[in-house]
Amino acid sequence: MNGLRQGLAVAMAIARKDAISELRGRQAAGSTLFFAALVLLLFGFALGPDSRRLAEAAPGLLWLAIVFGGLLTMARLHQLEADDGAFEQLALYPVDRRAIYAGKALAGAAVMLVLGGLLLPIVAILYAIPIGTAWLPLLIAVALGAIGFAAIGTAYAGLTVRMRAREVMLPLLMLPVVAPLLLAAVKATAASLSGDPLGELGSWLQLLVAFDVIMLVVGAGTYGFLLED
Amino acid sequence: MPQTTIYVAPRLAGTLGTIPPAVATVELARLFGRSAALAGVSLTVEIGRTVALLGPNGAGKTTLLRILATAIRPSYGTLAIDGIDALREPELVRGRAVYLSHATAHYDDLTAEENLRFAATMFGWGEREGGEVSREALATVGLDGHAGQRVCTFSAGMRKRLALARVLVARPSLLLLDEPHAALDGDGMALVDRLIGLWKEAGVTVMVASHQAERVSSMADATVRLEGGLLAEVSGAGASAGPVGARQRPRVAVARMDR
Repeated sequence: MNGLRQGLAVAMAIARKDAISELRGRQAAGSTLFFAALVLLLFGFALGPDSRRLAEAAPGLLWLAIVFGGLLTMARLHQLEADDGAFEQLALYPVDRRAIYAGKALAGAAVMLVLGGLLLPIVAILYAIPIGTAWLPLLIAVALGAIGFAAIGTAYAGLTVRMRAREVMLPLLMLPVVAPLLLAAVKATAASLSGDPLGELGSWLQLLVAFDVIMLVVGAGTYGFLLED
Repeated sequence: MPQTTIYVAPRLAGTLGTIPPAVATVELARLFGRSAALAGVSLTVEIGRTVALLGPNGAGKTTLLRILATAIRPSYGTLAIDGIDALREPELVRGRAVYLSHATAHYDDLTAEENLRFAATMFGWGEREGGEVSREALATVGLDGHAGQRVCTFSAGMRKRLALARVLVARPSLLLLDEPHAALDGDGMALVDRLIGLWKEAGVTVMVASHQAERVSSMADATVRLEGGLLAEVSGAGASAGPVGARQRPRVAVARMDR
């Protein structure tokens, strides 16, 4: 019980530290949001002014923007550790490695949730989609997707943070693994936006929960090894 | 002068009444690619001793300290810290050995106090006690006037002082200091000397790697000199060149790989 409480304190301390760094380094977080919004705008230009086409593509484009922004977020949260040799110090603290992973993943999920939450109205405005009463299932889909993405993104960012070509290696290694989660998140978002006429939203959300659990278990199990030299 | 509390990890009871040495390495070697940074070091350091680790650049001082701290694993050899097999149970060693590295390992967007409170939580202090020991450590290293200042505004010397404060917040039984005087002004160097003295009094085993040979040797019980990844000289009390009967052949084999 003591170990659990200590692990929880460690995870919260890491998440709080990362959140403070994100809030105070507003330029980086703001740039990520701006970049993701720009992705949405450019895809809008590429698809043309056909509003039906835009509405059909909106769930996929929203998740592409979240994924691009998420990759930057995951890399940045680990760059914090690499800047002054803090990653080695983090590995040397006498704490459970799973608690370190939980803290980093929690911070990543929180930042991605805020990013997704801010991108939703931008999608609605840019692609003229009435969100109406769909905001709750949309937020749930974004939250579950963000948790899964952060769960696996934290592990991969831990793997690539010591690499020289980490900016390239993180998406290269992570995107193939995250594809099934992305598919479920897009389907859940599309079902939410269309009012779920086929009653499939629940199934996609359940699949997202299953992906989240798997990725959290795999991430927590492997992160400790990544901290080792 | 602010009050300084030296927190020390509790001693482990030795088997059959014997007290294990603080550090016991046998033919410790570490290769980076084909180059041997450490080529077979067998060293024993008694509990509570202060050891000066000397040698030219590239002698293997930092590599040895990083292996002892469990930051990196050796390519060959064994090591025990306070009788604990560091290769099998590194997490137990991390609760006892604290490493002060060249990199100060701070978070730039956090204030000095936030950095220390974070470290205090990681070292197992509760919320309230963590705040108290952090403030006390900041006062000891002379940064109490900068507690609320973000670390990105700190000079190299201030960053080093904050790293020393982090060591104070930990409760080590073995302290591994890598060039602790580097980047510090005269007052800062005197502070390091005073802290080493306090740790020594408290019974903490201290290993100090430094190019300031005279300075650290005057404080040390023993001097260990490394050259080319090998032990060149061990003198003084409390440190010896490996456990009795340690084989020396493998270090030659490892050293050859360097060529």
